[in-house]
Amino acid sequence: MKKIVALQVCALLLVSGTLGGMFAFTTVYDEIRSGIVLVLCLSCLKLEPKTTAVFTFETVDNVPHPEFILANLSEGPVFLHYSGDACAGCDVMYPVIKDLFLIEFGKQDMYHTLVSFENATVAYIYVNIHHTVDELRDAQPIYDKDRVGGIPMFNIITLGYDNGKVKPKYTTLYGTLTTYGATTDGQRLDFLQQLVRESIQMYNQNEAGYPHH
Amino acid sequence: MKLQIKRLISQIVLFFSANLGYQGYPGLKTGFCYPFFYCQACPAATSACPLRSLEQSVDKGSFAWRLFLYPFLIIGFLGVLTGRAVCSWACPIGLLQRGTGRVARKFKRLPIARKFGTHKTEKYFRYIKYILLVSFVFVTSYLIGFIFTDICPVGFLTGTIPTLLLNPGKFVPNYFFPIALVLFILFIVLIFLIERGWCRYFCPVGALLGPFNKISFLHISVNTKQCIHCNVCSYECPMGIDVPNMHRDPECILCGKCVTACPNRLITFERR
Repeated sequence: MKKIVALQVCALLLVSGTLGGMFAFTTVYDEIRSGIVLVLCLSCLKLEPKTTAVFTFETVDNVPHPEFILANLSEGPVFLHYSGDACAGCDVMYPVIKDLFLIEFGKQDMYHTLVSFENATVAYIYVNIHHTVDELRDAQPIYDKDRVGGIPMFNIITLGYDNGKVKPKYTTLYGTLTTYGATTDGQRLDFLQQLVRESIQMYNQNEAGYPHH
Repeated sequence: MKLQIKRLISQIVLFFSANLGYQGYPGLKTGFCYPFFYCQACPAATSACPLRSLEQSVDKGSFAWRLFLYPFLIIGFLGVLTGRAVCSWACPIGLLQRGTGRVARKFKRLPIARKFGTHKTEKYFRYIKYILLVSFVFVTSYLIGFIFTDICPVGFLTGTIPTLLLNPGKFVPNYFFPIALVLFILFIVLIFLIERGWCRYFCPVGALLGPFNKISFLHISVNTKQCIHCNVCSYECPMGIDVPNMHRDPECILCGKCVTACPNRLITFERR
């Protein structure tokens, strides 16, 4: 009897002490909250959102565009790619994006580059939601146009003309793009290429009126 | 108040507290892992499924020790205190199976069900949940990136279905949907056919909690010296345990049905 009580007390002290230590000295609570609870993996949901790829000026709750987006917009349209670990949909889209911009990067990297797309410059920013900084993670809900709250998510931010003013205009795509009619990697690539071309065209039309950062 | 009424109240209260995360009502999204089986994909979920954290910790050959240790410690903390009582006093899927248990008990009387229940191989089926835990939560996640939550029937029930109902026309099924749907149908059939069939044979969270019964403070104790082996307790046990001969059984979910059923009050909850 004494043996089991000693074992129980030791186990309880060990478990509660380690758990308390994790809360106090690690960021695991925030990692779980921001990486699992707040942002869903769409393949875990077993669903794809049915949204449109139209460009809009209005961010979610009219939150201002983050500074890093505005700064990159000086170079060209911004392609913001949200991905995550243990996400089947993200794995499907990862090689498609690499093919789209002819780039190489690790899935858990933080990656930012200026790419040349059909002689135009596009700022590509890759954000793995589980391996990133707050500034990039916090931008995800701002561009979550259809309030899906899931990954993979792609934002293309360009320039548009609105009531006499040139402003950032964006669109958001979700999942593996099947709801946009793209069911193979080739179709996904074509669809994204078309959208990037459209964003470049809009950018070129409005660039002159954009106050560079 | 009767023990089973207390348990029902506990299950209902914890079901609601697991669902305080619906956008704005009150929108409580925490960084905890549930100590039971519930999906973060539920629109009202407050916390994360422990399996999701474990899968993510070993995704494709990587190892994130924090995500690995955290759900173990949350489950371990409750496990050391109360053993597998979480399954019967807190888990929403346990509450669901409590509802389907009445139907399952009718099937229990059928000769084929009796034959299966008493067959010597039945106990080996209970190891399926441990195999599921190791293979589909850890091994496939680590080696090929295939994760259990992509086809999880509980995720389908608590995440996919509510999302579809709350957002009609906003979502379409993805490529995992048909497999998950088939598993979900099998899950529903299972819990109607076998009382606590999911907990007995398949629940990977139950597999995490089960071993803690061996050292938990709270456990069920049988006075074997005075037991007359009437077997009322075993008949009442939703987990199909041979109660008079059990000692800190990993299958026991501490529901207390045997405690209530024993005509001689020889089965009790012990606190150490």
